[in-house]
Amino acid sequence: MTGTASPAIHISGAAALQDETRSPVPSTQREGLTVSMLINGQPYQFNIDSRTSLLDLLRDHAGLTGTKKGCDHGQCGACTVLTDGRRTLSCMSFAAMNDGWEITTIEGLSSADGDLHPMQQAFIDHDAFQCGYCTPGQILSAVACVEEGHAESDADIREYMSGNLCRCAAYPNIVAAVKQARNEMEKA
Amino acid sequence: MTTSEAAPLPRENMGQPLARVDGRLKVMGRANYPADIPVNNLAHGLLVASGIARGRVQELHLDEAHAVKGVLDILTHDHIRGELEPPEFGTSGSSSIGPLHDDKIWHDGQIIALVIAETIEAAREAAMRITVDYKEEQPSTSFGSEGTETVAASEVSQQFKEDVKAGDFETAFDAAEVKIDVEYGMPTHHHNPIEMFSTTAYWQGEELTVHEPTQNVYGWKVEIARQLKIEPDRVRVISPYIGGAFGSKGPITPRTAIVALAARRLGRPVRCVVTRSQSFTTQTYRAETRHHIQMAAARDGRITAFKHEGWEVTSRPDPYVVGGTKTTGRLYNYGSVLTKVFLVKTDRPTPSYMRAPAETPYIYALENAMDEMAVALNMDPVEFRRVNDASQDAIEGKPFSSRSLMQCYDEAASEFGWSKRNPQVGSMRDGDWLIGMGCATAVHPANVAPCAVRITLRDDGHARVQTASHEIGTGVQTVAAQLAAEHLGLHPSMVQVEMGDTRLPPAPVTGGSSTTASVCSAIIKACEEIREKLARAAVTANDGPLAGRDPASVLLKNGRLVAADASQALKDVFKHVGSGVIEQYTEFRPDGASPDAVSNLYQGKMEMVSGEKGDMIKYAFGAEFVEVRIHRRTREIRVPRVVGAFSGGRIMNTRTARSQLMGGMIWGISSALHEATEFDWRSARVVNRDLQDYLVPVNADIQDVKVILVPETDTHVNLAGVKGLGELGNVGTAAAIASAVHHATGKRIRELPIRIDNLLG
Ligand code: FES
Ligand code: FES
Repeated sequence: MTGTASPAIHISGAAALQDETRSPVPSTQREGLTVSMLINGQPYQFNIDSRTSLLDLLRDHAGLTGTKKGCDHGQCGACTVLTDGRRTLSCMSFAAMNDGWEITTIEGLSSADGDLHPMQQAFIDHDAFQCGYCTPGQILSAVACVEEGHAESDADIREYMSGNLCRCAAYPNIVAAVKQARNEMEKA
Repeated sequence: MTTSEAAPLPRENMGQPLARVDGRLKVMGRANYPADIPVNNLAHGLLVASGIARGRVQELHLDEAHAVKGVLDILTHDHIRGELEPPEFGTSGSSSIGPLHDDKIWHDGQIIALVIAETIEAAREAAMRITVDYKEEQPSTSFGSEGTETVAASEVSQQFKEDVKAGDFETAFDAAEVKIDVEYGMPTHHHNPIEMFSTTAYWQGEELTVHEPTQNVYGWKVEIARQLKIEPDRVRVISPYIGGAFGSKGPITPRTAIVALAARRLGRPVRCVVTRSQSFTTQTYRAETRHHIQMAAARDGRITAFKHEGWEVTSRPDPYVVGGTKTTGRLYNYGSVLTKVFLVKTDRPTPSYMRAPAETPYIYALENAMDEMAVALNMDPVEFRRVNDASQDAIEGKPFSSRSLMQCYDEAASEFGWSKRNPQVGSMRDGDWLIGMGCATAVHPANVAPCAVRITLRDDGHARVQTASHEIGTGVQTVAAQLAAEHLGLHPSMVQVEMGDTRLPPAPVTGGSSTTASVCSAIIKACEEIREKLARAAVTANDGPLAGRDPASVLLKNGRLVAADASQALKDVFKHVGSGVIEQYTEFRPDGASPDAVSNLYQGKMEMVSGEKGDMIKYAFGAEFVEVRIHRRTREIRVPRVVGAFSGGRIMNTRTARSQLMGGMIWGISSALHEATEFDWRSARVVNRDLQDYLVPVNADIQDVKVILVPETDTHVNLAGVKGLGELGNVGTAAAIASAVHHATGKRIRELPIRIDNLLG
């Protein structure tokens, strides 16, 4: 039998299907790509492989490892960042698509003098994490959730925070944290 | 601090709900998990996994992959043979299956190559361009598949030497008036911590450093060294923060030594992040189990006979045993007990431990049977447990060191409002929703292991606690800071904690809910030694307010050494010591551990004293109550309420304790209604290998989860009086839900997970 292996991205199915996932242009002919963006208020410029995801760009090229990789498939929410203020799964976005955009990562949420954003403080107050790995994504999602006006009721918060998995299952504490921060963000 | 349900007021024998000491780092994205550590000149590795479950690799076609720009190396079995010692089953090793040691394929998704490239993108492209010629054989997937082999666990396992039993089951069962004979099943589960598995390895001369999320830095150091055929002293394993583990990061992976070898071949650091789909086949998992229970009781509800047989999936070569009969056989006052565990060998990876490995499946079966028996007896399920509550274990007649099971039932039942439950099946409704209520026992052995710690106290009142334990999210760093502060008379903010590095004193694997007990016992012992040193210096001094006192009567409090009517500031006491700092290195060996237990710890061989060992049975208990709502037409299942009451001896921090138990109960909901690893039975391959198809609860699946911490003092378990809570919460929940589903619908679903399709029709 001749078949393909199961490499990085698993495609369950025939070998032909996997062949389609192969890059049509051999990488020997690939050119680097230049992208610029404003990350946490700082201008950055990168020369990257055109296939680089925004997540890998942040972690491996910008050194901002606060943004986490939990699946690389848009299924867990750990990689959530704000792009021009909207929550985005950075693993599902090519870096090149964000050329010229403003990106906020967890590192940019607290003020330069170390004051925490009300959402960050609320996560501490309500023990809204255990291992902390999903937390940067949860916090950015929660900030957007409040700003979108989707944090009015517990049921809304649960629904609109359901794109962020927490395997430690801090969910009830996350809901409590979002409520506290919502009240403070609305006051501010 | 705000008033929050997250910070319960401590009751008797409970510590304060101090907020996590690593909280600030974690909410700022500054807690460095192993794949976050910046490393210069990093090359990226990517695994290539087998597309068949059984057979041989005939040929790997690598030319196209090598041609990809940026590819540095591709390792296959041709490169590994002879370079590495094969992995071994047992202790730190999860499996004897050594991928790349030869061409044999033992299971789906086995590692068949490792691609190293300058970038992740190039590695991914190269991996895609590898094709494989296989010689495929027909694999066996699970119970009932052709070609499996069934063996008695006690005949093949070093860890599980006998099946517990007591009395004459057959006679008692035959004679009984009321009896049940039922079968249950729990599917394969994968831990799926949100942090992806990864290895980063680099060499500095002859010294190897490995950054990897692990629950067992010492065990891994020794095992990595063995596989690489070098001295353990040349290996350093670092894992300061771990993004969830649940058992998945305890056993050494088949990948780690291979990545280290790749880094040595290249002469540069290599980081290999395992894709989510690969983690379903290159990491461990919870074995699929089947259970057969026969139970009999007298009309008054007293159980007279209990039989529990278990069948567990394992790999071809390794006899991994789940073996929960050692707990189910001891839980109630049964009269007679008969148990037997069988292993079913299949073409799958070797399973290993996952959150309450033995209790989650086995207590699920037992507690379901308890509910079925209560129904058969027409008894209230809580009263049925009360009638069969035990003061000694049913197997050896040993007393329980403490057992607050019925207190847990009473507190949880009252909070839940159990008295309002109408026992009649299908009788409770709210509009279109059928309401069901169920309950179950949670139980987990109180385990403890040897542990070493170094505590440094400075005359300015700063302290540092160092031990190679692991912060997987349990809050052990917080608890360590809090406890050291309490015993040294300092504010917790003055205590710095360092963990997760083999340069620190050895600590056991973070597993079996033994960490708080083991680490805290070592800290208490070390702090007492520091107090003694300071006290002795102060009382034997020529002058000073404490001169001439009894050293046992002075304590450390608020930065001072304090006697009944006099005290001295730490700074001044240190002058008598003749140094500005005390560095205390302490080894803790639990009662019942072998004389070599501590020296074995340095060799990476862990000896856990489990709850059944010794003159007493040491278990933590809990009682869980759930309400389910099932839509009359769509059969959608919701869980609006869960209440759990738990007794775990000393509670070090009510905040972190509550969070662990809450997370555990949500895991229980997940095992009841959500998660299962599904297989294509023809090919023994995992079908749902991602987080979209492997279901775990999302926020919207979870509503009210209430945790009650029931006060309990147990001086027998260990020096710290701690029983451990990490695994208690998810035991029993699934049975409570299955019982509630029965109460709502009259349907007894015995195979998990319970999904809408089980309830239709
Ligand atoms: S890493 Fe992007 S959604 Fe999981
Ligand atoms: S805190 Fe661990 S995954 Fe959310």
